[in-house]
Amino acid sequence: MFIVIATVSLGFVGYLVFPTMDITAQEQPEVFVTHSGAVVQTTGDVLDPVYTIQEVEFDPQKYLRDFDYGKVSKLEDGTTLREFTIIAEDDKIMEIAPGIFYNVWTFNGSVPGPTIRATEGDLVRIYFINNGDKEHTIHFHGNHPAEMDGIFEIVGSGGGQFTYEFIAGPVGVHPYHCHVMPVEEHIGHGLYGVFIVDPKEGRQQADEMVMVLNGFDTDFDGENNLYAANTIPFYYQHHPIQINMNELIRVYVVNMVGLDPINNFHLHGTLYHYYPTGTDLVPSYFTDMVTFSQSERGILEFEYEYTGKYMFHAHLTEFSDKGWTGLFYVKDSSQLNTEVYNFGS
Amino acid sequence: MEVKRSSKTKTAVSAIIPFVLLAVMIGYVFGPGSELISFGVVIPEISIEKVEFVDSEIIATVRNTGPIAVDIVMADIDDMILPAAIEPDKHLERFESAIVRIPFEWNEGQPYAIGLTIDDGTRFEKQVDVAAPSIQPTIEMISYFAVIGTYVGIIPVMIGLLWFPFISKLSRSKYKFFLALTVGLLLFLGISSAEEAIETSAENLSDVFNGVLLVATVAIVSFLALNYLGEKLKKRAGASKLAGPVAIALMIAIGIGLHNFGEGLAIGAAIVLGEAALGAFLIVGFALHNTTEGFAIAAPMARTKLMIGRLAALGMIAGVPAIFGTWVGGFVYSPLTAVIFLAIGTGAIFQVIVLIMRWIQNEEGKLSNSSVLAGIAVGMLIMYITSILV
Repeated sequence: MFIVIATVSLGFVGYLVFPTMDITAQEQPEVFVTHSGAVVQTTGDVLDPVYTIQEVEFDPQKYLRDFDYGKVSKLEDGTTLREFTIIAEDDKIMEIAPGIFYNVWTFNGSVPGPTIRATEGDLVRIYFINNGDKEHTIHFHGNHPAEMDGIFEIVGSGGGQFTYEFIAGPVGVHPYHCHVMPVEEHIGHGLYGVFIVDPKEGRQQADEMVMVLNGFDTDFDGENNLYAANTIPFYYQHHPIQINMNELIRVYVVNMVGLDPINNFHLHGTLYHYYPTGTDLVPSYFTDMVTFSQSERGILEFEYEYTGKYMFHAHLTEFSDKGWTGLFYVKDSSQLNTEVYNFGS
Repeated sequence: MEVKRSSKTKTAVSAIIPFVLLAVMIGYVFGPGSELISFGVVIPEISIEKVEFVDSEIIATVRNTGPIAVDIVMADIDDMILPAAIEPDKHLERFESAIVRIPFEWNEGQPYAIGLTIDDGTRFEKQVDVAAPSIQPTIEMISYFAVIGTYVGIIPVMIGLLWFPFISKLSRSKYKFFLALTVGLLLFLGISSAEEAIETSAENLSDVFNGVLLVATVAIVSFLALNYLGEKLKKRAGASKLAGPVAIALMIAIGIGLHNFGEGLAIGAAIVLGEAALGAFLIVGFALHNTTEGFAIAAPMARTKLMIGRLAALGMIAGVPAIFGTWVGGFVYSPLTAVIFLAIGTGAIFQVIVLIMRWIQNEEGKLSNSSVLAGIAVGMLIMYITSILV
């Protein structure tokens, strides 16, 4: 009896002291690329959210150019009515970076929620259903009556409903988010999205996209662990956004990063015209670097003169090191589009 | 015969029944379908036990020290997320460990924080004060460490043994004083070993190992085992009056050897961690310190005939482990191994103290003699003063 116990405990201690002596079957070595371009081989698993192409459930490529114009109808007086249904949930576990699973609180199942788009003067009607376990609201930035502000009209959990209705305005790009206390927590978990109001006369034809700058404090230490444009860190680094040379690009940027007071947007290889909040149709700056405080937003317009890969990223290196970085892949549309690019070669 | 066997079976069964009942209860309470204990949140935990800096790469050894299995999914240096690899694989069962390789152009002498993030998004960090190239076990390095171990372990002990003729010429009461002095020296060494073990476990070992209890358990087991061994040794030596002191000296040498192994670990680890200044201080300090250890070995033998061969052999037993210590500390340092060795050393030293005290009592009749008490006090003071140099 004693011998058995002694042997078992000795074996256990031996395992603790020399655990790395485990002999594992030799597998096909995997390969990954470092910042400096070196190729590293491993017999184990690659941990690389930066360069290795990895898919998660949420697709930032699809979100980028996905605009929800709502169910459109005309009222008797000729006003356009746009109806949307937004459902809040707070029990979803989403893969917000390869292998990292986080409890996200969502509008229509994703972080960010849908990009709602209307034209100035349209009547916007939003059927809000709260299927979460907590109370939620939607607070839109923009013009609306006090009772449509989503502050005091708390919508109860487990199927509570509220209908928000207001005339779209002013022109620009605005965030919407849950405004239940503590707001930091409700936003931090993902209850936000973008609301675009187009001018009646429209804007110049362009390749349009939305970028929500966001971050996640996955271990609740008051510091964001991950940053991104559109939720997934480094996503556009290994899935570059394809655009055409000499075509106008318009990016609606909304900074929803919490915990950190500021964020910024730096573009390589060209400069952009910047429209703060998008409320004015004349640009304020021509620059490659703007700073956003919390919930600050604006419109960027630019064109590329040359083909190739260009970075866009936070010029706060801490943010870019933790995922807020990506690439534009500029193609010459006059040439045959082979849809083939070799990243990292 | 038949009766005897059945009674044996009965004894065995009666010993097993409580275990079976316990297993049934645990199965009922925690087993599948049980709703009894389903409250509370399980918090995963990993510990980065070691960080090595090699050519263009930082290598972290990580262990799952939490209550549930985890996946390691991301690595960073100073909050900068980097491509990395984990071997053998990213899934870690309880207590399992793996090696994370992070290619990184690190700068010597700079501090770095190595972070690992697990599947629930929790990030764990290990701060390294000074980056220094990890030392590879090449022939030069092995011999370099052997030389250092010799300077720290063997030579000082041998020098200490040279007190033998001095001690052997002492009067009975003075001799008693010096024997007690040895007790003081060892008492100090024992306490310092225990302190070192507890400190190492607090700094580098996850809470899951219950550092202090691990040290206590290993030290007491080592104490008991050496006690048993010592008794056997004495019995085998027989009634021969000569053998008694030699056996005690041997036990002292073994105890000190284990302690010196710990010192070697500290020196090897300090050099590897790039703490060259600390390494140098440790070498000078331990060398001074260890001269007194030679004295401790020489003291009990001083009433016997001078046997240079035996004395030298005992010196080697006490000193050579320092060399092994520098190798282990320098090349395969693991905090768990270090704590276990230090705890064994602690137990060994306290066992030796008991041995000498018993011997003094046998020789002199009582312990509360003024020269004995003074000897212990002076021994500790000497150790304290030389230890300040470390």
